[in-house]
Amino acid sequence: MKITDACVYPYPCGDSSVRRMALEAKSLGFDRLVTAGISSGEFYGIEVSNGILIRDTMVKDLISRVRQEKNSKAVISVQAGDNGFNRAVMGVKGVHILRGIQSADKAAFDHVAAKMAADNCVAVDIDLSPLISGRGIMRQRAIHRYRDILVLERRFEFPITLSSHARSILEMRAVREISGLCSLIDMDTPDVERAFIGVDTIITPPNPAVRVI
Amino acid sequence: MGTRPPTLREKRRYILVSVEPSGTIIDRKDLYYAVCDATTSLWGDVTAAVIMPAVIASEGHYMIIRCRRGTERELSIALSTITCCRDNPIALRIVAASGTIETLREKIRILKTPDRELASSPECMFGEKLFQIDYCYGQKVDAIEKGFKNTNRLFLTKEDLEKL
Repeated sequence: MKITDACVYPYPCGDSSVRRMALEAKSLGFDRLVTAGISSGEFYGIEVSNGILIRDTMVKDLISRVRQEKNSKAVISVQAGDNGFNRAVMGVKGVHILRGIQSADKAAFDHVAAKMAADNCVAVDIDLSPLISGRGIMRQRAIHRYRDILVLERRFEFPITLSSHARSILEMRAVREISGLCSLIDMDTPDVERAFIGVDTIITPPNPAVRVI
Repeated sequence: MGTRPPTLREKRRYILVSVEPSGTIIDRKDLYYAVCDATTSLWGDVTAAVIMPAVIASEGHYMIIRCRRGTERELSIALSTITCCRDNPIALRIVAASGTIETLREKIRILKTPDRELASSPECMFGEKLFQIDYCYGQKVDAIEKGFKNTNRLFLTKEDLEKL
């Protein structure tokens, strides 16, 4: 089980190369990074996984895009939309993470979507950038939404991932700092540990105890 | 108000932080305003008054920040929300916490201060743009785009420059 930052943006999206981000991640206590637009590899002992973010698409296009990337072993994320869209995303096989839930509609993620996420092993991402760089109402709204999601997570036990969405090494935070930031949204240490290995949970879902033949 | 005897004084804690990007020298007063702003924004005026943050010493790119004993956790969370100081993007990495300044000064002496290494070439090409190498230590290379305006800073490694 590897401690993972579930989304960083190296150069050319950000100002730091993937190697430099891996070097920084190593000193900050991470084992793996999920990067946008960079092919998988290993740098300075840090596993770098390719991440694909799909946004602003219809469900039909989303399904065909996910089908295209089926054999790429990439971590596929989808930007959250309205409630209907999110429920549809939960049912698409191959989608790993639902992102941007803090900026979606208030009713975008309800108990039905939470149940579907748990059944289909789709993680909901906690983006820490509004907590780090946000101020005022933006941060308050994010804290409120994350607390609401965590209430559903405790009830339905769907996977959670933590991501810094760092575009620079200056936006990356240490594992201990992230634990501190997560305490703002009522996550205790076991919750944070579970969220850090959330990517492992979604990449290798547990085998069912009973198989229907 | 006179100095109180030691038993009546408030107990304090000192947090040692290093300022990233390496080699950045920041004025103590500017950092104090950034710390106060982050603390007040996150915890509010009442808790900020309890924490009583203050930047009390700086050695190179290390800074020692003081708080009231028992509020280290709140201060460290607030420190992780600092993203810039006087419009310069920075990050504060917490190195250690102690009850005395002297222990932290010893820690600074033990930690090797990354001095600037001489790069093999003062300039480099990356992404079809010309950059001037600003800081070089170990594998880390910080480069600033050459030009009069829109000069971006890039964080690279020596391996990145060798691959080109």
